[in-house]
Amino acid sequence: MRFLYPLGLLGLIGIPVLIIIYIIKSKYTEQTVPSTYLWNLSERFLKRKRPISKLAGILGLVLQLLAVAAISLAIAHPVIILPGAAHDYCFVLDGSGSMNIDQSGKTRLELGKEEISSVIKKAADGSSYTLVYVGCNTSVVYEQTEDKEQALLQLSQVSPEYAANEVTDAIGVAQEYFDENPSVVIYLVTDKAYDTVENMTLINVSDRRENYAISNIEHVWEEDAATVTVTAEAISYESDATLTVELYLNGETTPSATQTVQASKMQFVPVELSCTAVNFDHMSVRIKETDSLALDNEAIVFDVEKENEYDALLVSDRPLFIKSAIQSTGNAAVTVKTPAEYEEYKAAEKKEGFDLYVFDSYNPAQMPTDGAVWLFNLTSNLTGAGFSVQDDRVDIERDGGGELTLVADGSAASTALTKDVFGQGISIVRYVKYGLYRNFTTLFEYENNPIVFAGTNEYGNREVVFAFDLHDSNLPLLFDNLVLFGNLLEYSFPTIVEEVFYYSGDDAEINVISGCKSIRIDSPTGKISYLDTSSATSTFTLEEVGVYTVTLMVGEMQMQRRIYAALPQAERAPTQTAESISLQGEAGTDKRDGKYDDLIALFIGLAVLFLADWVVYCYDRYQLR
Amino acid sequence: MGRMVINEEFLQQVETLQTLIKNNVAGQYGGNRQSKTYGSSCEFADYRDYVQGDDITKIDWNAYARFDKLYQKLYLDERQMHTRIYIDVSRSMEYGKNDKAEQALRLAAVLAYVSVNEMDKVSVYAIRNDQVEEIIPSMVGKEAFVQSVGKFNEVTFDGDSMISDAILPTKVGYGDGMSVIISDFLTDNDYERAIDHLVSKKRHVLCIQVLSKEELNPQTRGKVHFFDSEDMRRTYRKNIDKEIAQAYKAALNYVTERIENYCTARGADYALVSAEDSVAEIFFGKLVDKGVMK
Repeated sequence: MRFLYPLGLLGLIGIPVLIIIYIIKSKYTEQTVPSTYLWNLSERFLKRKRPISKLAGILGLVLQLLAVAAISLAIAHPVIILPGAAHDYCFVLDGSGSMNIDQSGKTRLELGKEEISSVIKKAADGSSYTLVYVGCNTSVVYEQTEDKEQALLQLSQVSPEYAANEVTDAIGVAQEYFDENPSVVIYLVTDKAYDTVENMTLINVSDRRENYAISNIEHVWEEDAATVTVTAEAISYESDATLTVELYLNGETTPSATQTVQASKMQFVPVELSCTAVNFDHMSVRIKETDSLALDNEAIVFDVEKENEYDALLVSDRPLFIKSAIQSTGNAAVTVKTPAEYEEYKAAEKKEGFDLYVFDSYNPAQMPTDGAVWLFNLTSNLTGAGFSVQDDRVDIERDGGGELTLVADGSAASTALTKDVFGQGISIVRYVKYGLYRNFTTLFEYENNPIVFAGTNEYGNREVVFAFDLHDSNLPLLFDNLVLFGNLLEYSFPTIVEEVFYYSGDDAEINVISGCKSIRIDSPTGKISYLDTSSATSTFTLEEVGVYTVTLMVGEMQMQRRIYAALPQAERAPTQTAESISLQGEAGTDKRDGKYDDLIALFIGLAVLFLADWVVYCYDRYQLR
Repeated sequence: MGRMVINEEFLQQVETLQTLIKNNVAGQYGGNRQSKTYGSSCEFADYRDYVQGDDITKIDWNAYARFDKLYQKLYLDERQMHTRIYIDVSRSMEYGKNDKAEQALRLAAVLAYVSVNEMDKVSVYAIRNDQVEEIIPSMVGKEAFVQSVGKFNEVTFDGDSMISDAILPTKVGYGDGMSVIISDFLTDNDYERAIDHLVSKKRHVLCIQVLSKEELNPQTRGKVHFFDSEDMRRTYRKNIDKEIAQAYKAALNYVTERIENYCTARGADYALVSAEDSVAEIFFGKLVDKGVMK
């Protein structure tokens, strides 16, 4: 026997205290009386007492001592060791996507948890429990704990995951326990069937429910024809079925196209859907029929270009060169305003909300704070721009103007910005002389004066400055023009997400653009997480099925992208028979010591009983008058 | 010892009392008590033939006229009663609140006063161990009472009491009045022989058992070790509980009933009084009820 709270035994100090009190109190009070004649005579009239009554004097003490001992033991919470009555248990719980399949109102994962709970509850006290969970990753939830309550609690907190993950890693963990203790009782709880299982007990929670799935979705959007064509494959895993596949465009609630197909069991059926689509942002392809696993009945596809598209505002009296350069090299929707219109627009205090502001030969009153800024031929100082105007017009008195010099300082930024730029023969006839006081990367210079440079402004947003008017240069006529604009747009709007369709369990890659303060990921179930922004790319494991929202803060600018994670195909047909799975080694039969710690109720009961007896005794003794 | 058990107020209360003697007394001196012999009281008793030399004033001339023969009228004699009061002065009488000693002295004094008020002769004795000590050897009349009453306050209570051993060897008189024994009678010593002896001497015997309230209704509970005040070798060591308390009451009843029955069987009177009982309660209540007083 051992005690959970040995300090409770301090209560036994009460026993000698009670004995001392009893000895002190049990002293006979000496008293002189007129005569003892009557008292001695009373002996003749005393009824013969029962033998137990003779113990009455000491019975009180005995009861009190028993009560104190019982209470102390109850507090100390004794645990009786039962040799060889308990086991070491190791549970391998499959938490992959297929365990979300609903069976009679409960998911397979819930059924598996119930099976494990049942084993734990029936196990002898003193057994140890280890839970290995196979979710997106294999993790040991708890290891060799003897605390039943804690084991059950943590088991109940295991939440379903959606990735495809083989139990191989988990079996490896179980093998380690098995090597350490061949007598460990190992349960594999999954919905997958195995030909043979050795040295462990398989609990298969699958009852092979109906499941349909849509997969292999591809689409083509022809903007000019305003049509979108989608191809996909539908499948029924358990039986032949008639499936209705619907196409929803841009979040609409009515299908834009529908096709009904006859799907044979375990046979992919091609589906082709086509509809008119003037705009295309994203689409949802879903099977109308309901089944036990809804997660794989729908797939959402976002348009990558649309996701990476940006809005640009061009303020210029002569926007042709710049607009055509941006539209031809970038994924931008360009809004053009004249300076007068822009001032009206600003005066109306309309929300800015553009990703890129281009000011051509126009001096804005203040720097926009919510987007990248390109400044062409700025002739007056602009607060927050990071440079000052030293001379607003420098004419180059030379035929054909002055040729710009390409600056390649070897830095990463410079290399990226001047990538594929030839840099020869670019000349200008006049320029504005600037003095830089922020850290800019100069791309071109003339007579050591910065002519084209890029960096970030005071608000942390990306800024590109041309110290001349394109009309005063031959740049628009050169091939370098498109290359340079392409580099500058890539610099201002790097692609954040290269892929927008993943499978749950995949790692999504997020490009960390320069100046990015934070990257926030909102999962389909609302879980929020932030990614590291210290490296060029950041990865994030997609553990759920559905639409993830990626939000980047670049300076004061918020950039949002969406990606979709689908249920892995391997998890859609989990009931297929798999290969054998086994633990290597000879199973043992040793058991560990069990415990019985329900004595506390017994002790408390005894204590109450003794105390009650004590009270009755005292009443009888002292209240007899 | 300076007990003030007797005072004027107290005596005034008992002045109206009178003792009742069951048998006519045969005292040596004249008094107020009717004697078994013929005498010179006013109470007619019988006739006898006149003989020469008789007092002619007691000839019944009416009878002479009717029977033509001289008859002498006889009257009852009135003798002085000798009241002997024995007080148990053992140490057991002195314990307890409103102790028994005070009550015993008070009773003795009142009885003595009642007797002297009736012109009886009163002797008061103390029974100490196996001896009878004279407290007041003899007093007749109130004046003598007043002069002697102070001696009650000088009585000391000590030692044991062996009533029979003490009384039997002493002169107790014969048919001349009342003998009163005031004691707690809580003893194995043979007091019955004393009663028998007194009764055999034609004495009117009155036994007054004085017990304290604690003795009549003990409240002590728990573990006690009692020592007898008269002999510390006599002890009682018990855990007094309900059963023992009940046994004690049974023992008390046994003792009191035994004395009462013994007295009744021998024509003696018996009264049980508490040390806390008032004199009025005892004399106007218990003793009157028992016919000892009127």
